[in-house]
Amino acid sequence: MAKLRLSKYYPLVALGAFFALWWIAPAVFKSFLKVSFTEFQAPAWIASSYIDDLESFWARRSHSKLELINAGQELARQKAFYRLLDERNAALEEEISRLEEILDVPGRREFRYEVARVIRRDLNAWWQQIIIRKGNDYKIPVGSAVIFEGGVVGRIVEVNAFTSRVELISSPSFRMAASFSGDDRPVVYQGEPQSGFGTPSGTVRDAPQDLVATTDSPIQLVSTRLGGTFPPGLKIGKVRWLEPGSTGIFQAGKVELDEALLSLHEVSILIPLNPLDLENNAF
Amino acid sequence: MRFDPRSLLLVACNALLLYVTLLINASLASINLHLILLGPMIVIPALYLNHTSFFLSTLLTGLWVDAAFPTSFGLFTFSFLALGTILFSIRYRFHAERNFHPSLLAHATNLTCILIMTLWHGHAYFSSGAFWIQVSITTLLSHIALLFVAPWLFDLERLLFKICRLETEPEDLPIT
Repeated sequence: MAKLRLSKYYPLVALGAFFALWWIAPAVFKSFLKVSFTEFQAPAWIASSYIDDLESFWARRSHSKLELINAGQELARQKAFYRLLDERNAALEEEISRLEEILDVPGRREFRYEVARVIRRDLNAWWQQIIIRKGNDYKIPVGSAVIFEGGVVGRIVEVNAFTSRVELISSPSFRMAASFSGDDRPVVYQGEPQSGFGTPSGTVRDAPQDLVATTDSPIQLVSTRLGGTFPPGLKIGKVRWLEPGSTGIFQAGKVELDEALLSLHEVSILIPLNPLDLENNAF
Repeated sequence: MRFDPRSLLLVACNALLLYVTLLINASLASINLHLILLGPMIVIPALYLNHTSFFLSTLLTGLWVDAAFPTSFGLFTFSFLALGTILFSIRYRFHAERNFHPSLLAHATNLTCILIMTLWHGHAYFSSGAFWIQVSITTLLSHIALLFVAPWLFDLERLLFKICRLETEPEDLPIT
C-alpha cells in the first residue's frame, strides 16, 4: 500500500530531477542540443523550398510559346535599359570616388549582395521572422542587413549550416538608426506589436520638432550609415503623422511599412566587404 | 521500465504536425494570420504510454519545438514535460481510446501553451492593444483549427499503432 502511494509521486520526482539536471547542465551542452535539433529539421525546409521551385518551373512550362516569346522580348528591353543604368551608375560611382578623394571624406562601407530564397515565414504576435535558404555555406555573418526591392527587410540573427534566421523590421525587438529623406538628422526606428490588420507598422522616435508629416504628403523614412549595418538611403517606410513624444522635446509617429514584407519570396543579404571590428576599435 | 516503441512513433507524428502547421503559417503570413497547434502533441503520450516512454517522447517533442521556434531553448521542453506530467498523474480519469476527452485536453494544453508564450515573450507589450488583438485572433483561429486537427492527429496515431502492429490500448484504462 505504501509503495502504491509513493509511486503516485514518481512522475513529479522525475520532472523535478529533470529540472535540476537542466539547471546545472552546461550552456555548451544546451547549445549543442539546440544546434543539433535545428540542423536535423533544416533539410525538410530546404526540400520543401526546392519542391516549391519545381512547382514554379512546371507552372512556367505550361505557358504557350507566344507568351514566352513576349516575356523574352520584355526582358530584352529591360536588360537594355538596366545596361544603360549600369553604365550611368559606374560613371556616378567614379565621380563620387573622385570627389571623396578631393574632399578627403572617410571611405564608405562596401557590401557584397547575396540573394537568398525565403523558405519559411513566421509572423505572429510574439515574433516576426523569416528563414532563408543560405547560411554558413555562403559565409553569411550574424548581424548582416537584409533588404528587398521595397527597402529594409531586417537583420540576420542566427546562422546555421544551410539556413539563416532573419528578424523582420516589424518585430518589436528590432531597432535601428534612421533619418527622414532629405534630412540628415538621425532618428530611432523601432518595430512594434502588429495588430494583424492592415499593413505592417513600426514607430519612429526622436524626430526633430520642425518636421511636418501629413496624410497628403507623408515623409519617407530611410536608413542611415549610423550603426554600420545598413547603407544609407534604403526605404524603411512612410510616416503620415508626427506628434510630440513622451519627452516633449522630440516628435514620434507611426511608420507604415511595405505590405510586401508579409509575402517575401526572395531577399538580398548585404555582407560587408570590410567588417567592423568593434572589439578591437573600442576605446 | 520497458521501452515502448510507440513513443518514437508519437514523436514522428508530432514533428509532422509541427511541420504542417509551420507550412500553413508560412502561407497565412501574407494575410497576417498564425496558428499555434501544440496542445495535441502532449496528450496521447501522457494518456497512452508508461512513464519512461512518455517522458522520452515528450522530451524529444519539446526539444524539437524549441529548435523550431525562436524562444529561449528549453521553454517548450519544460512546459511540455510539466503539462504532460499533470495529465499523466490524472490520466485514469479520461477515456483515451475515444477522441472526446483527448480533444478537450488538447484544447486546454494548447491554451496553456499560448499563455506561456504570451507571458514569456509578450510581457513587454502587455500595454499594446495591437498585441492583444493579434493574440486573440491567433488563439481563436488555432482553437477552431484544433477542432479538426486534434481528432485527425489522434486517429492517425492510433492507425499508425495498428499498422505498425503495436499495442493499441492505453497503459492505464480509466476507472469506470
